[in-house]
Amino acid sequence: MAAAESPTSVRKVVVHLRATGDAPILKQAKFKIAGSEKFAKVIDFLRRQLHRDTLFVYVNSAFSPNPDELVNDLYNNFGFDGKLVVNYACSMAWG
Amino acid sequence: MGSSCSWDGTLSSDEFHVATIALSERWREINPTSPPWTWIPSPRLPWGAPKKADGYLSLESVYHLNPKEEHYSEGSCIGEEEPLDDATLVQSYNQESHVYDFHILYSASYRVPVLYFRGYRCDGQPMVLEDIENDLPSISSKQMKEFKWAFITQEEHPYLNQPWFTLHPCGTSDWMKLLFDGGTPLNGDAVIQKYLSSWLSVVGQVIGLRTPLEMLSKSVQ
Repeated sequence: MAAAESPTSVRKVVVHLRATGDAPILKQAKFKIAGSEKFAKVIDFLRRQLHRDTLFVYVNSAFSPNPDELVNDLYNNFGFDGKLVVNYACSMAWG
Repeated sequence: MGSSCSWDGTLSSDEFHVATIALSERWREINPTSPPWTWIPSPRLPWGAPKKADGYLSLESVYHLNPKEEHYSEGSCIGEEEPLDDATLVQSYNQESHVYDFHILYSASYRVPVLYFRGYRCDGQPMVLEDIENDLPSISSKQMKEFKWAFITQEEHPYLNQPWFTLHPCGTSDWMKLLFDGGTPLNGDAVIQKYLSSWLSVVGQVIGLRTPLEMLSKSVQ
């Protein structure tokens, strides 16, 4: 892949995890992640913390990102002040 | 639709129509080269004037070039672009492209949008569910087991009277309400403007149709 990483790809983004619906609030609700990581890593972190395989994860603007999206791209579209607010809920098995 | 705090995640048929215009305009702005979402009015005129929502939104001829990959792009069928030589034949075989049509209909009973879709091969052969499942992102098979709403079933397309695949609308209003509750408070008009882009960001993941981030980026608000 790219020989040299550009400054944007090593930028760290602070992810704020916000519980919605009946989801439990996490002790560690903030963490830093490299912007070059995929959103899948955020979802994996939540899954491990909550011991749930399936979660409903979305960013603050009512958008549910594809796990393949880069954290940098999400930050550029939805973040502010170095933060990306990520909402999560557990009850998606309705119906 | 009232204030967003008491909103139940549903849309009236008029609001659905407004939301379809917002989606197709924004989509065209962001993806000027991709196939557009187009409103198809109902050809049926039963009694009196047709209602505004009597039609559906259509995105057709979306090429799915690499089965098993979460990736779609506009393209052409195998072999049209470049002359083939022995070295590229094998690759072309692996990249057999599948074409998908997506329709967004309004469900009057659930008061939410419903996705209908079908896939076919370059030779026009329609795809069965088993083939389509091979094209879906791996996350979908998991979701289909866990989430009742993510089940794909075959049903008659209400406007075309042909069998199409669909995602059941049960649960949609619940997760739509959740999507908007967790975010910045919005007034009713803003919710309608963003509704279908938000909705598509969720259902698109099940069927492998990517919603560009720019559809809902902060610059829109």
